[in-house]
Amino acid sequence: MARGFSVTSLPGFAAIAITSFVLLYAPILTMVIYSFNASESVALWGGFSLRWYTAAWENTQVQEATIRSLVIAVSAALISTTVATMAALGTTRRGRFKGQTLIYVMINQPLMVPEIVTAVALLIFFAAIKVATGYTGLAYLILAHSAFCVPFAYLPIRARLEGMDLALETAAADLYATPWQTFRRVTLPLMGPGIAAGAMLAFVISLDDVIITEFVKSAGQDTLPTYMLGQLRRAVTPEVNAISTALLALTVILLTAFFLLTRRRD
Amino acid sequence: MKRLCTTTLAAMALAGAAHAEGELNIYNWGNYTNPDLIKKFEETYDIKVTITDYDSNTTALAKVEAGGHGFDIVVPSHSYIPIYVEKGLLMKPGIPEMENYGNISDQWRNVDWDPNREYSVPWQWGTTGVAVNTSVYSGDINTSAIWLEPPAELVGKVNVVPEMQDVMNLALFYVGGEPCTTDREVLKKARDVLVAAKPNWMSMDYGMTEKLSNSDVMASVNWNGSTFRARINNPDVAYGYPKEGYPVWMDSAAILSDAQNVDNAKLFLNFIMDPENAALISAFARYANGIDGSEAFMPEDMKTAPEIVVPEELKAAGKFTGACPAEAQEFYTAIWTELQK
Repeated sequence: MARGFSVTSLPGFAAIAITSFVLLYAPILTMVIYSFNASESVALWGGFSLRWYTAAWENTQVQEATIRSLVIAVSAALISTTVATMAALGTTRRGRFKGQTLIYVMINQPLMVPEIVTAVALLIFFAAIKVATGYTGLAYLILAHSAFCVPFAYLPIRARLEGMDLALETAAADLYATPWQTFRRVTLPLMGPGIAAGAMLAFVISLDDVIITEFVKSAGQDTLPTYMLGQLRRAVTPEVNAISTALLALTVILLTAFFLLTRRRD
Repeated sequence: MKRLCTTTLAAMALAGAAHAEGELNIYNWGNYTNPDLIKKFEETYDIKVTITDYDSNTTALAKVEAGGHGFDIVVPSHSYIPIYVEKGLLMKPGIPEMENYGNISDQWRNVDWDPNREYSVPWQWGTTGVAVNTSVYSGDINTSAIWLEPPAELVGKVNVVPEMQDVMNLALFYVGGEPCTTDREVLKKARDVLVAAKPNWMSMDYGMTEKLSNSDVMASVNWNGSTFRARINNPDVAYGYPKEGYPVWMDSAAILSDAQNVDNAKLFLNFIMDPENAALISAFARYANGIDGSEAFMPEDMKTAPEIVVPEELKAAGKFTGACPAEAQEFYTAIWTELQK
């Protein structure tokens, strides 16, 4: 009996797979290990300690940056998910239309345009508004983050909508449900996991952003990632490792939740 | 209703005024501002200070130039001060009339890039030199020969930080030239000595604090602050100031021309020229500060640190180096590219 082609039967499969995983995770593992270092170095092991976690926890700049990061990420996730949900409905719950591909490309523009280009464009655009209005609050960062988070929220929601059986919505309409009732009672509950997944992805993307934030932020608006970037000029202490590890843990938790939500009922 | 509006407006105006009086927004390199210094300033003058970080001169300049940033004070490197001035981004806050102006060391008072300190006051300064592990080599380390013509003990154990400007300038000093020269003879000499030296090097990498501490490299072109931290981990490490010439840099605090809190910013500039406060800056970021009398308030391990206190006879060899004109920069890049091959 001839066996079908399988990647796993190719010679060297295991070796390549293991090498790839080691290359991917060894640096992260090193970073996590040294976050528990008792000494001031990120390369010399001085025993186990939680001192850098304590130091990060008690550092008011870190505290403020963390709160700011969370405020921005939650707001950006809410706004971008709302926009993305509407966009996903608008592009899937209808027949093919002229310029469909163009619309997809436009929605996903932040995925394709280099981040530095968006950052510089936003810097100049927002600077003009800041000068004209005198307002320099967090709204700029929230808007900027919302904008580039849209495609990240859009893709899982659209995937969910495309995987959903249109017959259910048609049946609801057949049974004299108004369009609103159909949406509220059928479409929305079914696309719920997609929306949640999109929101989480948007949240994580916003939380991790450096370049656009660095260019858009005004006085006193460092987020956690831009604060960490600033630390790099001088000697890096394991405090940065500790913050990174905490951020990593949060990201892993959210991505796991994302995975569980998208897997269900598939 | 109208009265309510007027009252609200008045209240807002009042709040606005109070706001302007009690705030100061500093835009500085990350991990560079001592929180104790800020706390002391806040308590002394009842001013709320925000610190915002940047990671490069270019980022800072781009943001300041775009406007609308809300910052009052910025801390550019010496080579960037003339650029800020030329673009009209800094104000002349009357620094020479300030109470603590006299505390600036003579060496740092009348500098080329800011004559008479019209625009900026010293924040911190440092040097690029050579770090050597003295357990391997015990000869004279105050020379670029350490890395350009390494003694037998150091061959194959030398690192060169891949910082084009610093490396090129050190090489030019070594062959008797000046930074940013366009003299082809001198440039050729510098190129030859670099190319000849390269086979004797082990690597061209950053991150020397760790590698010197671990004795992974035995010598390196390196910055004084990094070498200072390496020496604390590993007492064999020593810092040499190449007598042929070595680059000096200085970051200085200046007030932006579109600052909102000018009075507070002036208070701050005067504040950091006080020796006790300047010492706080140094205690945190571990570089010297350029204010006379601050040594007395420095942490014990910095007062006599050979990486911080330049030996008298080698002071003159230190030279400010900045960005070169385009023509010289092209030569730099050409030689650098050849060296990277």
